[in-house]
Amino acid sequence: MSNLPLLSIVLWLPLAGAVILAVFPRRAEGAVKATGLIVSLLTFAISLAILPRFLQGTPGMQLVELHSWIPDWGINYGLGIDGLSLWLVLLTTFLTPIVLLSSWYSIHRYPKEYVISMLALEFGMIGAFLATDLILFYVFFELMLIPMYLIIGVWGGVNRIYAAIKFFIFTIAGSLLMLVGILYLGFLHFQQTGTMSFAVEDLYGLSIAAKAQVLMFFAFAIAFAIKVPLFPLHTWLPDAHVEAPTGGSIILAGVLLKLGTYGFLRFVLPFFPEAAGEWAWLFGVLAVIGIIYGALVAWVQPDMKKLVAYSSVSHLGFCVLGIFAMTQASVTGSVLQSINHGISTGALFLLVGVIYDRRHTRQLADFGGLARIMPVYAVLFVISALSSVGLPGLNGFVGEFLILAGSFETMPRLTIFAASGVILAAIYLLWLIQKVFYGPVVHEENRGLPDMRWNELLAVLPLIVMMVWIGLFPQPFIRRIEPTVEQLIAVSTRGGSERPTLAARETATTAEPVAEQHTSESGAAR
Amino acid sequence: MNLVPILEPNWFQAILPEVVLSISGLVLILLDAFAPKLRHYFSHIAVLALIGAAFAALSAPRGAWFGAMYETGLLTLIFDYIFILATLLVVLLSRGYMAIQRLEGGEYYALLMWGTVGMMMMAKGLDLLIVILGLEMLSICLFVLTGYHRRIPISNEASLKYFLMGAFATGFILYGTAFVYGLTGSTNVLQLAQWTTSTAAMPPLMTVAVVLLMGGIGFKLALAPFHGWAPDVYQGAPTPVAAWLSTAPKAATLVALIRIWDALAQGEARPAWAGLVAALAVLSMVVGNLVAIAQRDLKRMLAYSGIAHVGYMMIAVYVISPDSVAAVTIYAVSYALMNIGAFGVIALLQKNQNDAQTLDDIAGLGFRRPFHGIALAIAMLSLAGVPPTAGFIAKFYLFKTAIASGAIWITIVAIVMSITSVYYYLRVVYYLYMKDADEPAVETGRDIFSTAALAISSIGIFLIGILPTGLIRGALEAARHVIAP
Repeated sequence: MSNLPLLSIVLWLPLAGAVILAVFPRRAEGAVKATGLIVSLLTFAISLAILPRFLQGTPGMQLVELHSWIPDWGINYGLGIDGLSLWLVLLTTFLTPIVLLSSWYSIHRYPKEYVISMLALEFGMIGAFLATDLILFYVFFELMLIPMYLIIGVWGGVNRIYAAIKFFIFTIAGSLLMLVGILYLGFLHFQQTGTMSFAVEDLYGLSIAAKAQVLMFFAFAIAFAIKVPLFPLHTWLPDAHVEAPTGGSIILAGVLLKLGTYGFLRFVLPFFPEAAGEWAWLFGVLAVIGIIYGALVAWVQPDMKKLVAYSSVSHLGFCVLGIFAMTQASVTGSVLQSINHGISTGALFLLVGVIYDRRHTRQLADFGGLARIMPVYAVLFVISALSSVGLPGLNGFVGEFLILAGSFETMPRLTIFAASGVILAAIYLLWLIQKVFYGPVVHEENRGLPDMRWNELLAVLPLIVMMVWIGLFPQPFIRRIEPTVEQLIAVSTRGGSERPTLAARETATTAEPVAEQHTSESGAAR
Repeated sequence: MNLVPILEPNWFQAILPEVVLSISGLVLILLDAFAPKLRHYFSHIAVLALIGAAFAALSAPRGAWFGAMYETGLLTLIFDYIFILATLLVVLLSRGYMAIQRLEGGEYYALLMWGTVGMMMMAKGLDLLIVILGLEMLSICLFVLTGYHRRIPISNEASLKYFLMGAFATGFILYGTAFVYGLTGSTNVLQLAQWTTSTAAMPPLMTVAVVLLMGGIGFKLALAPFHGWAPDVYQGAPTPVAAWLSTAPKAATLVALIRIWDALAQGEARPAWAGLVAALAVLSMVVGNLVAIAQRDLKRMLAYSGIAHVGYMMIAVYVISPDSVAAVTIYAVSYALMNIGAFGVIALLQKNQNDAQTLDDIAGLGFRRPFHGIALAIAMLSLAGVPPTAGFIAKFYLFKTAIASGAIWITIVAIVMSITSVYYYLRVVYYLYMKDADEPAVETGRDIFSTAALAISSIGIFLIGILPTGLIRGALEAARHVIAP
């Protein structure tokens, strides 16, 4: 039992499901949907088996699987899971059945291809989180673009083509530049050790000259900043979100964006600690601009889905701020907030989709007084919104608090501005709730709207449970994240307690080990 | 030197693949004359001949033949297989196409066989004259095949254009070869390599020779700025022929170029000449990719995409090393699979061949004909270099080699152009799956041969994309024997 390649099973099961579905006849719509749901539920169940096997005190990769893939280039099929990826993997396997369930009645065009795309997407996402080899990561990172492109482009709204192509071009432009960086890292490893390797842990120890480090830092950081998305590279996101079908939006916000924050933590900071330290101020500033800008734009949106999309820009700004603040609390908060955002924004997109299916409009002005017509729906929506706002007792609070408290230590001024984002979030979401749920029923056609259907209820309730669970008992989640974050910070500061600088790197490349060389000039980071 | 070279033992086995293909070409053309009722089986005969040639190539002894004018080795074996694979796929695609277009004939398959022999000679020739002989043998077959649509004006136009410009290009190569011979007293690449290493200062006229050779070869490869013929020829030629002439002949020409380049471009003169190669590569990547964006005709789009891909492959010549030659080998295999896969689906579109085959014709094909849709989508994603396809592995190896050789700026140009190319490759996927067809929709034909060809290309693309190790090792091993590290 212990010899079972658990991670591989979780990874390949969705793809196997997709392949099996490919031979189903197209008319068997119910069977296709049911099989897709069963496969994704099975994947989730098996992924839960990771939890008891995951040792919480261990910072490094666990349940490691390593097979050589292209030995001549030092490329391995390496899988592993640690505190950074554990909850993200579970979030992925958790959200996929929810997505399939929520779109049970809303996808009528080519349902078979839709389910196949979703499972293929799940395969790509899990692979990207589990990969311990940079090339393997890159393969999965690119692989999931295609199903997402199809999901937006085939099942999306009116402007779906524009949104799909924009999404694809933005992401692939970033990732191809990253590929140059990846190749250069592999080449450096060859220069410094005499063997080719793309294993992430092997690359952590590389010493990279200052100039090359800054260039590569940006090659990687831009790729992930597009994915997050960080202001001003966020423009593809509202388009993609508004045009994507509900299921696509949930996965996009819930998991795909998290690859950006995950990439920063897994690759950018530990690979290029000096450059990251030097340029942390830039990313902090952009993150805070994103927080405030996203919130302000969300405030004036007349379209519910666009509002939630811009709130994502704002919320992920917090995550990026926490990452570049580089304290134990802030980074832990960022990881946790990635999960929280996936849950609460996923629920919001799902609920917006519910109302859209009924009325085929998402304009705030088309609603009002829904609380009386759809009471269950209203309650669920309000809980999700409050979770997104960060109400104590729900999950959003824990993450945001950790990020703000942690960031204040190293970036106090930026954190003060960032904190205003919390207030703005309350404003725009309560504004939305007031417009949609309270007041008189203005539009007569809203009177006959049915409340939640069985499949919608089944899809949302697990999310609500998780909001409360993480909100009340965050410790079990945090405990599993912390050791890895601690190690990450140690690697990213080259073992010191202060940020290393590029100047130190310059002397270090001429002299010797890095850790002793860094000065206390971490002020340069601000 | 002996005027009559003494024949080495086993020389016949060494050229057995060429012999098999030449004779089957003759048989096909004779059958067409004397037993036209067998026409239905000509493609079967061609397939058998190619399989026979594949076995013959495998058992061919390795070494240099005919007074070191002809070489067989691991590299030529791999390239023999590339040519045979490409021709095989084209034969499979031709059957249905030729039946629908009422063009069945023995000479069509005979020309494919003989053209393959020409390519094998180009790849194996150690002597510039053998290379030119092979090139001419190939070119003449291509001129005829391009105009094979006798009744269709654009096909005739394409053939004439290709012939006139191709003749010019051959003239350039011959003229360059004459210079080389005049300067060195030899046309054998092995002796040329010796001459280059023993000569302290490269005579200036050699630069003229290299420029002439590069011009002629650049034409054959459709490198910018010698690419003008390619879009018209691809558009006019019968689609399976376009699939063929866009892949296998380019691979053959690249091998010849690599041999000549490795022999001549040594020492001091190399940086200046390498600049020429880099300029051609960059120009091809930029022109090919940017102009491809503007194309709505699928065959013209693939023509420009082909110009861009040869541009990428020229990076390997620029940084020439065993690794880069191995990279180009893998690129050539991958490119053959994905380009023939793409042309294969276009060949199945049932439409008057004098009209353009545009993006609109494939609208909604992905749901109308799922197999054809997915085959074309896989080919496009591979051309775009998305993992885990052969196109990704090929580009990855090429860029990795280039970066390791310090050619970072040209790699960045290549990557930026790859990003650009994603736009037009993805547009095909968009038409396949996201656009509703006009009424009446253009149908695609279905026959078992074309299905087999598309299946081979799609599976091959993933096979190289996921399990490339064997191919990488073989190609590198082969390249080490040919190129000095």
